[in-house]
Amino acid sequence: MKRRRMNQVPLFSSAGEQAKMLVTSNLIDAAWAKIPELQRGQSALPSSVQTMIDHPTPNSTIVVFAPLPDSTQYPLPQGGDLVPYPDFDFLGTKEWPSVSINRAALTLFESLKNHLYGLKTELNKREGQLIITGHSLGGSIASLFTLYLLSSMDKESKCRPICITFGSPLIGNFALQHSHWNSFFLHLVSDKDPLPTLFLSSGRSAPTSSHSQATAYKPFGTYLLCSEIGCACFDDPDLILKILTVASSEVAGGLLQVVDYGEILRNLKNRAICKGPQLAGERFAYPFSDGIVMELKTIGIDPAKHNIDTTRMEAEARTLAKKTKASDAKELNDIKKYMVMLEWYKKKSKEANKCYYDCFKNGDFQRDVRIEEFMGQLTTYWEDMVAQAERKPQKEGASFRTAWFQSATTFRRMVEPLDIAIFYRDGGRDYINNGRSPLYKLLEKLYDEAAKNTTREGPDSKNKKVSVLLTDDSCFWAHVEDAILSCQSLNHANSTPEQRESSWKNLVEFGKYVTKQIENFAVSPEIFLEQSSFMKWWRMYEASIDAFRNFYTSPLVNFMKSHKYDDYGLPEEA
Amino acid sequence: MGETVGNLIGLNDEVIHPAATLAVEAHNSPSKQFLVKKIKIRHDYSSVVVLAFSGSMFPDDWFGQPPFGKTKIDTGNFPSLTSLNDGGDAVVNGSFLRRFNGVLDKLSHAKELKEAIEKKRQVVFSGYSSAGPIAILATVYFLENRTLSPRCLTFGSPLLGDRIFGHVLRREGWSDYFTHFVMKYDIIPRIMLSPSSTEQEQILNYFKSKFDRKNINPAPPSGFYLTVVGNASSVASYEACHLMGCRNPSLDIIKSFIELSPYRPSGTYVFCTGNGNLVVVKNPNAVLQILIHCAELGESNTAEVEKRSLDEHSAYLSELKECLGMQAVVSLDGGPATATLNDLGLSPQAMLCLQAAEEFENRRSRNLEKIRNYLEKIEVELEMLRKYKGNAQISRLGYYDSFKLQNEDDDFHANVSRLEIAGIWDEIKEMLKEFELPDDFEKKPEFIEIGKIYRRLVEPLDIANFYRHRKDKETGPYVIGRGARPKRYRFAQRWLEHDENKPFGSRSESCFCAEVEQLGIDIKEKGYLQEIKDRIHQLERNLIAWIGDESLDDDVLLENSTFVKWWRDLPLKCKSESDRIENLIRGKADRL
Repeated sequence: MKRRRMNQVPLFSSAGEQAKMLVTSNLIDAAWAKIPELQRGQSALPSSVQTMIDHPTPNSTIVVFAPLPDSTQYPLPQGGDLVPYPDFDFLGTKEWPSVSINRAALTLFESLKNHLYGLKTELNKREGQLIITGHSLGGSIASLFTLYLLSSMDKESKCRPICITFGSPLIGNFALQHSHWNSFFLHLVSDKDPLPTLFLSSGRSAPTSSHSQATAYKPFGTYLLCSEIGCACFDDPDLILKILTVASSEVAGGLLQVVDYGEILRNLKNRAICKGPQLAGERFAYPFSDGIVMELKTIGIDPAKHNIDTTRMEAEARTLAKKTKASDAKELNDIKKYMVMLEWYKKKSKEANKCYYDCFKNGDFQRDVRIEEFMGQLTTYWEDMVAQAERKPQKEGASFRTAWFQSATTFRRMVEPLDIAIFYRDGGRDYINNGRSPLYKLLEKLYDEAAKNTTREGPDSKNKKVSVLLTDDSCFWAHVEDAILSCQSLNHANSTPEQRESSWKNLVEFGKYVTKQIENFAVSPEIFLEQSSFMKWWRMYEASIDAFRNFYTSPLVNFMKSHKYDDYGLPEEA
Repeated sequence: MGETVGNLIGLNDEVIHPAATLAVEAHNSPSKQFLVKKIKIRHDYSSVVVLAFSGSMFPDDWFGQPPFGKTKIDTGNFPSLTSLNDGGDAVVNGSFLRRFNGVLDKLSHAKELKEAIEKKRQVVFSGYSSAGPIAILATVYFLENRTLSPRCLTFGSPLLGDRIFGHVLRREGWSDYFTHFVMKYDIIPRIMLSPSSTEQEQILNYFKSKFDRKNINPAPPSGFYLTVVGNASSVASYEACHLMGCRNPSLDIIKSFIELSPYRPSGTYVFCTGNGNLVVVKNPNAVLQILIHCAELGESNTAEVEKRSLDEHSAYLSELKECLGMQAVVSLDGGPATATLNDLGLSPQAMLCLQAAEEFENRRSRNLEKIRNYLEKIEVELEMLRKYKGNAQISRLGYYDSFKLQNEDDDFHANVSRLEIAGIWDEIKEMLKEFELPDDFEKKPEFIEIGKIYRRLVEPLDIANFYRHRKDKETGPYVIGRGARPKRYRFAQRWLEHDENKPFGSRSESCFCAEVEQLGIDIKEKGYLQEIKDRIHQLERNLIAWIGDESLDDDVLLENSTFVKWWRDLPLKCKSESDRIENLIRGKADRL
């Protein structure tokens, strides 16, 4: 029995309306019209797939790929298995890092590569609308070529592409579901066409080693699925795969049937302005599920019979519907608010002549309790951003991260010291190897990569306002804590000479590290506040030097002993 | 039951049929630009003046520059017809606007209208077919002028304006003054949803020879239905996707490859079902869906429906006579009712579209409720900021400058309050941009007022924060009308200016400190150029005016404020109001 909670708002499925909008517009006709035209023309390339380029208006370009109608001279390549294709690894996501492509499509694509490279160079110069279209294996080439083109396009590109294929086989194992690129692909498939699932079924029938690969085919883009009586648009890969599989199992006759997409489009256009036999009837009590059942039945799928869970689809749609631009705007301001709270905490600590790190570690202020709440909110927010980036293909994920990585860096430098404080307060040792969360590791890795790629003007200039700066290395305090532990080990009565030697070595290393930070103005002057953990370490270290290694000296020791830090970070006198 | 069309559209039933008759007569009298007739209402002896416009079936008078002949409305004659939320000016059919401008002169001098104004008579602008849009524009024109409060009746009118046009009519509360009668299959009310084509020209030529009566029975064109209704259907489906909350991002990409008609219905629609029943619909999204879905082909063949779509355009008088006699009227705005929909011959898919249109309105009401619930929270934060401001005044620094320094606990709390309200206000801003709030939101006094208070109290803090962090280096200056200024303030300012009928920019008192800061920076970089001097003079005049009408708080005049310190450092030759401003500063010091 269907149940809907009273407070839930009705949802709708727009799969049918989107399909109707497409077939009543001229976009798909314009794409299809070029295919028979290309097939009638002279073949220009020594290949089973031909291509041409046309400019219907000065501001639009159409690129067409179609197989030769007569394939005796150049037979279409065979091969339903997936072949790893590292050239397309820019499509890899965290879940699907390496990309494999259908062998037949890849063979064709490789054989045309010289030609396609020239075409890409030409298209990169153009502005305006770009339609890339193709039929059957030509459509596979159209898709691969579009991906190839997208990978080299920058944000400023004035060229807007869309790829429209007709009855093309599935291409590869990569997932574009969470990618912006997904919306550039539109695949028209008739329920009478066996070709789209051709490789899928061949992979299935042969339970060889390629079996697991063959079933790893993943649809991407939007599918416009059509039957005699109507059409519907879907973009959920699992649902599309299911529908395609059902359709292919019901296609009679197999391969020989040739599907005329021109005729299909004409029929759908007429259907679009017909009411159909039924009149409206009652209001729909469950518009989403009632709607989607109607839409699926239109394309020959019975959700009950084919085990399609419309309740789950509705639940997913409901989650998506909650995220709006308005709710995003609110969230962004909340995140800013939490950061302001933390900045204030840091400032208040400094006024009390302490580092916020130490204040938090010792629980000096009452407001510390809420600080943990803000840390939690901020961490969740950034974990979500990182996860979003990881679901996108590598290249797109990278540019998505560029947009926010500055804020993420500030977050890491502000919040990680607090996590370090908790770690050592609770008796932890060696935070970097035992306590550091994957989020911080990843954010730091991103920062290092970005720093490598941007030409920096050497170490930050002295004019930089060091006084308001956050310490560059968000793990600075972890190093300090470990140095304190080393000092303790050095001084401990029960320590073996080996332990002492190793502790001393650690301390020398730490000294070098701090010197470098100071030279680069990369640490906040707050670390020199009288009660900071760093000064606590220095006093212990100074005592150890006197006790164990009299006359030991280093740049840091000089710096500290001569109180040079009193001037550190002060504005230079003019 | 018992509702009549007149009740539902707020006009006496006795006016409708005479207005239609006059409209048809006027349409076919091209020698006169309009006809006027006084109609006596029997039951209360009042008179209504109906003014009906002439029409034209020349394709040039319908379609300008292909594909849609659209043009921006001229905001000189129609100052309200613009969006207050970045949506730009309303777009209308350029040919219809041109024809309206052609009759405007004669219309504004019409003695019948002057008399109606004097005698406080109800005026109805009426138009049949291509005269419908002229009647609509005339009605808007006089509503803008506020000399008259006319009503508008059209019969088989083509669409005139875009989504912003309808949004403005609803925002201003004018939408109910417009009533459009449409026959179930009449092709003309749908024709503007399709780009201009030879098919459309054939349709117009057919009507032209029919109306000219030179040719008694011209041969009707054929084969246009699939094109015209097909294109219209594309528009309806695109809108339906939005109503249904389409979550497939490819929709936007596809849209950028398809040029859809910009025109959308506005006002109240009355559909004549063909069996004597009338269906009244006010929800503009529902109107669009019905316009398309009830014209869809059913059992009968295309040729039959095609012929009917032409015949019905000239059947308004007889159909209305029957309908108005029967008064079998249903209003759809309580939600789509089954029986009515079957009268219109709608499909189950159409029912879903109508439910989505209804749900969209419900969602907008829920959003409004949500924002209303925020008001209390906003008020709490504003109260905190008022106290903060009071304390800052006591410290003789002014709250702009104390906030900029961020030294005290209070400054921090003020910053948190600022961010709390900014979150809410940004949410409102996004909803407005997506039309996710009721159309009249920006006219609601409670929001105009809180927007004004919010802007005056909080925007200086945003500016202080902006210049404290020298964000102008990253984003460019904080400019009143664009650039780095947050849109939430720009929108709130537009609401107030629109409400007070003032030009854009006249209410930028909340940006006073931004101009002071920016002038300081610009002088350092460029010196005292003439352009800078002009800006200083403008700033001085604004200061005097805003202090005068109390829209700008006088703590900018505190001795230690950024403004006073900066202004006193200016060379005397750059100041134009030196004495008056000195007096203001001294006056402020004396009051403390």
